[in-house]
Amino acid sequence: MGDLGRIHQLIISVGGQKLTFNLEVILMTWIVIAALLVFGVIISRKSGILPHTMQVVGELFVGQFYQLTEDAVGKEYVEKYAPLICSVFMFVVFSNWLGIVPHLEEPTKDLNTPLSLGIMGFVIAHYAGIRSKGFKAYAKEYFQPVFFMMPLNVIGEVAKIISISFRLFGNIMGGSIIILVITHLCFSVLLPPFLLAFFGIFVGTVQAFVFTMLTLVYISIQVK
Amino acid sequence: MMEFDAQAWVGAAAVVGAGIAIGFGAIGAAIGEGYTAALANLAVSRNPKISGDIFKNMLVGQAVAESSSIFALVVAILLLFMDMGNATMLKAAALLGAGLCMGFGAIGSGIGSGFPAAQACLGLSRQPAASARLTTNMLIGSAVCQTPAIFSLVVAFILLFMDFSAEPFNPTWAALIGAGLSTGLAAIGSGYGGGMAAGSSCEGVARQPETIGNVTTIMLVGQAVAQTPAIFGLLVSFILIFKVFPETAQIQTAMALLSAGLCTGFGGIGPGLGNGMAAEGAVRWVARNLPSAADLMRIMLVGQAVSQSTAIYALVVSLVLIFVV
Repeated sequence: MGDLGRIHQLIISVGGQKLTFNLEVILMTWIVIAALLVFGVIISRKSGILPHTMQVVGELFVGQFYQLTEDAVGKEYVEKYAPLICSVFMFVVFSNWLGIVPHLEEPTKDLNTPLSLGIMGFVIAHYAGIRSKGFKAYAKEYFQPVFFMMPLNVIGEVAKIISISFRLFGNIMGGSIIILVITHLCFSVLLPPFLLAFFGIFVGTVQAFVFTMLTLVYISIQVK
Repeated sequence: MMEFDAQAWVGAAAVVGAGIAIGFGAIGAAIGEGYTAALANLAVSRNPKISGDIFKNMLVGQAVAESSSIFALVVAILLLFMDMGNATMLKAAALLGAGLCMGFGAIGSGIGSGFPAAQACLGLSRQPAASARLTTNMLIGSAVCQTPAIFSLVVAFILLFMDFSAEPFNPTWAALIGAGLSTGLAAIGSGYGGGMAAGSSCEGVARQPETIGNVTTIMLVGQAVAQTPAIFGLLVSFILIFKVFPETAQIQTAMALLSAGLCTGFGGIGPGLGNGMAAEGAVRWVARNLPSAADLMRIMLVGQAVSQSTAIYALVVSLVLIFVV
């Protein structure tokens, strides 16, 4: 139990700066990417007017997310943002599910993955806001409702990155720590599969959906 | 100076911190989940045909509301099992602060995230056709009202993992406990208030599903303002953690730092709740009276700004306590 909160790292020093690589996370992320590619190939292979099972799964999934995106950002932006929303959801949900495979770990368990996804969503949302409203109208929103609220509005925006990424990180890492501790306490008898089903599949899916929807809502607030 | 056995004190602080973290952290989510179940029962009795859907929605809502208690459990487990290494006395204060922070911080968000789940169950019985929109709105609302608990988690992690061994013991111990109290206490009001706004937005979506765009936007704006006291708490915590205080023998300096944390923490509870009430009112009426949405939002923001003034007083006093006294 002593290695709780320790990470395997490769630290390379380049010109006085330390570059840190979390090896396991990088490997796990590549596994997720490979799984997504395989999933994509299976869905689109031999696609036809009479769909096979996997094609139905894919079409339902894409259709559902296009609908959700349309509800949030309106008709004119669906084509632009729906692919992003679909890929964010698929990446996060596959990452969260990876922990149920023995010897593999969720990449989202490491803060770097959710944080980079959160920063990505933040940058996209603000870029979209500047593009659709123009810089002046975008900047003016920071001075609402009164001008001296500006620093607070800026902090509030930055806090969104913290909250969106720590929500995913906290839930996934929390789940894996709870599984680890309870498995240790009950000598791996009986309980772990149920815990994996709850924290891995159920909480993992819900949190992936929440993360995706928040990214979408932040974009929709900016473009409207 | 008395001779302390630092290791023993660090161990003791970790055990006490773990108890506080999960003991207080268990309060909120349980209340929120119970409320969800209560309104799910009401919903089933109104519309027994869709009891399966209501049951599923209740479970998903409760699973999300559980998050804040899971954060508290994680902090408690880390406090119990983590290897602290060769820690100094300051680490003991930091661990106690982490426990206090996460324990108090989970209360408000736990109760708050029960409201949208409960209202979504009730709304489902009224408007079964809007089930997808209700569930989406519920998840967004509940997730956003957990933000204060997440701030507490961040502060607790910083207190757990940062190395304080280089800093002087006397004023810093108070700063670390104060940092935990500041974010932890301020999160209570903001989490609860954000939940009220999210609850009324689910109710609004059930009444008029086509207003979902406006209702969700105003809910998020209202919640963001209701979270400002929690952000004040976070700000004061960061100042207390990252500022290096010169060593002093005076107890007054240390108490000033502890009191700065208490001041922003308690000062944030009321404004968080009040802002949540303002947002709740605005969101509820936007769903019923969409044409006046702009007016409602303006009055909500002004009302929230006024109700927030007391949190700003507390913040100013805290900053005086940190930088002047």
